[in-house]
Amino acid sequence: MTPENAGSFVWLGLKLMTIVGIGIYCVFAFVLVRQEQLMSKVLEAQSEKILSVLSWIHLGASIVVLAIAFLIL
Amino acid sequence: MPVLFEASLPKKQSSKKGKSSVKPIPIPVQNAKMNTTPLTAYLMHPNDIRFETQDPDEEVILFMRQHIIVLIPKLILGIIIFFVPFILFPILIQFLQNSVSLPGGYVVVGMVFWYVATFGYFLAMFMQWYFNIFIVTNHRIIDIDFLYFLYKKFAEAKIEKIQDISFRTGGIMATIFNFGDVVIQTAGEMPNLLFEKIPKPSAVVHILSDLTENQPEGGNV
Repeated sequence: MTPENAGSFVWLGLKLMTIVGIGIYCVFAFVLVRQEQLMSKVLEAQSEKILSVLSWIHLGASIVVLAIAFLIL
Repeated sequence: MPVLFEASLPKKQSSKKGKSSVKPIPIPVQNAKMNTTPLTAYLMHPNDIRFETQDPDEEVILFMRQHIIVLIPKLILGIIIFFVPFILFPILIQFLQNSVSLPGGYVVVGMVFWYVATFGYFLAMFMQWYFNIFIVTNHRIIDIDFLYFLYKKFAEAKIEKIQDISFRTGGIMATIFNFGDVVIQTAGEMPNLLFEKIPKPSAVVHILSDLTENQPEGGNV
C-alpha cells in the first residue's frame, strides 16, 4: 500500500465517520420530534405548537447537514 | 367548589365612587382564568391546559413547572458552546494545517453541524423543562416527568390520600426568586410526590392544605 493510498483510506474513513455521526444525530433529532408529539398528547397546551415547529426545524436542519456532508465531503 | 384563593379586583373595578373607603370586593380567581405561555411556570386556573387522563368533571386548579431560573446555568453553558467555534476552530484549523491540510468541506460541515447541535442542545434543554409538569386538580395531584428524552413518568395521588405537605427552600437563588421543593406524603404504599424547584412553594402548600381540608370524607370534591 502506497502512502497516497493510505491517505485516501484515512480520508474515506473520516468521511464515513462524519456521515455516520451526523446520521446518528439525525436519529436523535427525530427522537426529539417524536417525543414532543408524545408529550403533546400528555399535556395539551396552545403553546406547544411553537415547540413542535422548532423540533421539526431542528430535524430538517440535521437532514440538511447530512446532505451537505454527502455532497461536499 | 370552595374558594381557594382570593385576589383583589383591579383598580378600575374596585370602586366607581373612588373616594369611598369601602374595600374592593374580592373575587375568586376561578373567574380570572388565564392562558399559559411557553414560559409559564406557575398559573392558577389555567384556561388552555388539558392533560391526558383528565376526567370530564376534573378542573385544573394549579399548573406548575420548575422555576424558569433553573434554566439559567444551562443557558449560560449553551451561550459558551455557541461562541466556542469563534475561539477554538481557528486554533484547531491552524494546528491541523501544520500537520495535515484539512479540506474546506470539513470546516464548513463542522461549523454548520456545530450550530445545529447547539440549537438541538437548547431545544432539548427547553423541552426537558417544558414537559416536567406539576398539576393540582380538584381530584388529585399529578407529576409528569420527561426523562432523558425517551421516558415519561406519570405519578398521581388522590387529594384524599394526602397525609402531609411540607416545603423547603434554601440557597441564595431560591431565596431571591422564591422557589423551593414541595414534598407531599401520601397514605399507604403510594409513593410520595416531590415538586422540585417550583415557584411560590408556600402558596402551593397553602392551596393543597385548603384542598385537603375541604375534602369530604371518603370522596372527591
